[in-house]
Amino acid sequence: MIELSHLTKVYGGIAVVNDVNMTIEAGTLTVIVGTSGSGKSTLLRMVNRLIEPTKGSVFIEGRDVSMLPAYELRRSIGYAIQNHGLFPHWTVARNIATVPMLLGWDRKKVDARVEELMELFQLDHEQFAGRYPHELSGGQQQRVGVARAMAAKPALLLMDEPFGALDPIIRAKAQADLKAIQRRTGTTILLVTHDMAEAVHLGDRIAVMDAGHLKQYAPAADILARPADAFVDDLIGTVDRPFHYLTLGTVGSAVEPGEADGAPLNADASLYEGLGALLWSGRKTAPVVDAAGAPLGRVSLDTIADRAARPQ
Amino acid sequence: MIRDMIRPGNLLRLAVFGALLAFLLAPDRFAGLLAPLTSNGAPPIYHQSSLIDLTLSHLFTVAVSTLAAAVVAIGLAIFVTRPAGAEFLALSRAVVNIGQTFPPVAVLALSVPAMGFGEAPTRMALFLYGLLPIFENTLVGLSTLPPAVMETASAMGMTGRQRLLKVELPLAMPLILEGLRLSAVIGLATATIGSTVAAKGLGEVIVAGLLSGNLAFIVQGGVITGVLAVLLSDGFQAVARYAAKKGGARPQTGA
Ligand SMILES: Nc1ncnc2c1ncn2[C@@H]1O[C@H](COP(=O)(O)OP(=O)(O)OP(=O)(O)O)[C@@H](O)[C@H]1O
Ligand SMILES: [Mg+2]
Repeated sequence: MIELSHLTKVYGGIAVVNDVNMTIEAGTLTVIVGTSGSGKSTLLRMVNRLIEPTKGSVFIEGRDVSMLPAYELRRSIGYAIQNHGLFPHWTVARNIATVPMLLGWDRKKVDARVEELMELFQLDHEQFAGRYPHELSGGQQQRVGVARAMAAKPALLLMDEPFGALDPIIRAKAQADLKAIQRRTGTTILLVTHDMAEAVHLGDRIAVMDAGHLKQYAPAADILARPADAFVDDLIGTVDRPFHYLTLGTVGSAVEPGEADGAPLNADASLYEGLGALLWSGRKTAPVVDAAGAPLGRVSLDTIADRAARPQ
Repeated sequence: MIRDMIRPGNLLRLAVFGALLAFLLAPDRFAGLLAPLTSNGAPPIYHQSSLIDLTLSHLFTVAVSTLAAAVVAIGLAIFVTRPAGAEFLALSRAVVNIGQTFPPVAVLALSVPAMGFGEAPTRMALFLYGLLPIFENTLVGLSTLPPAVMETASAMGMTGRQRLLKVELPLAMPLILEGLRLSAVIGLATATIGSTVAAKGLGEVIVAGLLSGNLAFIVQGGVITGVLAVLLSDGFQAVARYAAKKGGARPQTGA
């Protein structure tokens, strides 16, 4: 559990992070979202003390982070950023091994961990281990950056717009991978973005920042249904709201008995994807199957439309 | 490997080095070549000291003073790029600049009374003269590192010292080497003035030529120094290219 208590950072008389209080449950993925300059990165960097707060404290598992030497604290917290910051003079394997080496793991354990992570992030060990960062594509660099952040199995991972530089397709894949890896490892993740769709898609809870203030901190569905004020409302976007909402539910949750024609939809797909498939194929209903391909029933345009309406 | 060695550039380097070595080991064989530059039957080859001894002590003087300049200049550049030393940046710049603008001849004149004749005043002059290029290059190298890389180095939990040794210095290495190259090459040429205060070096041959009006002496002293400078500079660039390649070729080093 991470607790931010009255966290404040003042630059030149202006509080760019202003008295933020927040409790983050272990094992969850929390997204901090807000406009540019709202203080998201500053907030994130106070957690691993890249920035020292002007006021307030950060507690991790009840311990005040300012009690530990900064370098020791940071070795226990993963950190990944948009421009990945890979060390250009080190190979992919050496980059990923950074924190384990700093912690003095023995060679064999480091090598095994590097191989394990490269497999997890779908980077062929034989092909990529010996390459230098400038010999990788942007998407591969980004994966190496995240793998490096997770190398020493930190319980907490901080990510500052980790997917900001990726094209939409690679980005969607990276998001899905991150979510799957987070589920598998139980890592607590604190992720910064200014993209509301990314926030809704990834976040168990969303924290909305505006001009240094924490405006709202709630599960995605609550933020969409009951924005705290006009600013949050604006950030969600009036047009996009129902579609954001649909990304939260799965086709499986809207199944009704019955049959339908045409290509089946996967129960795991989001309602948003289901809607797209129905609209594009000109159908009012589609069959739904589970992961193994067994029929579960059908889903209809009307049900999906109902689910997109503002909850009362 | 073997392929790399027999590229035209390397063949030329080898040929130049071979020619220099041949001349230094048996200068008399080249007497015929230099004879047209003499008059009144003056000797075409300098014989007061052996040319190879003079060359070696010339190189040694340059090596010692460049090394000393490197230790001080790199140390100073590291110091002023740390938070604790930042306020000394302007002062260090000024001091190092004085070292460069003060003419080496004047340094010699001033240090002879204190240090006596011989190698010491020359080393002093070259040391002061060599500080600036190394200092400025190291400073640029250390202060233009990619911010994202510096930030993650800290965020991974490197201590200040680990960050310096594992990240900053290796990434600044191509520029530091460039500073060393400049200092060494300038030093090689400047060291010739050392013979005015009786330091052993190739300047002795040139000065002897000037005093006796023997053009052949001047040419051989000058050409040996020049060829050494070219070879040295070339060697430094090869090392810098290798360092840049390993460092993921930072933009300012091209390569
Ligand atoms: N070192 C600093 N000195 C002075 N002001 C700063 C400093 N760092 C950040 N700021 C200011 O603090 C505010 C918040 O910056 P921060 O980087 O946290 O914003 P952000 O929400 O991450 O924005 P973005 O989405 O553009 O990355 C900005 O107005 C910025 O100009
Ligand atoms: Mg930011």
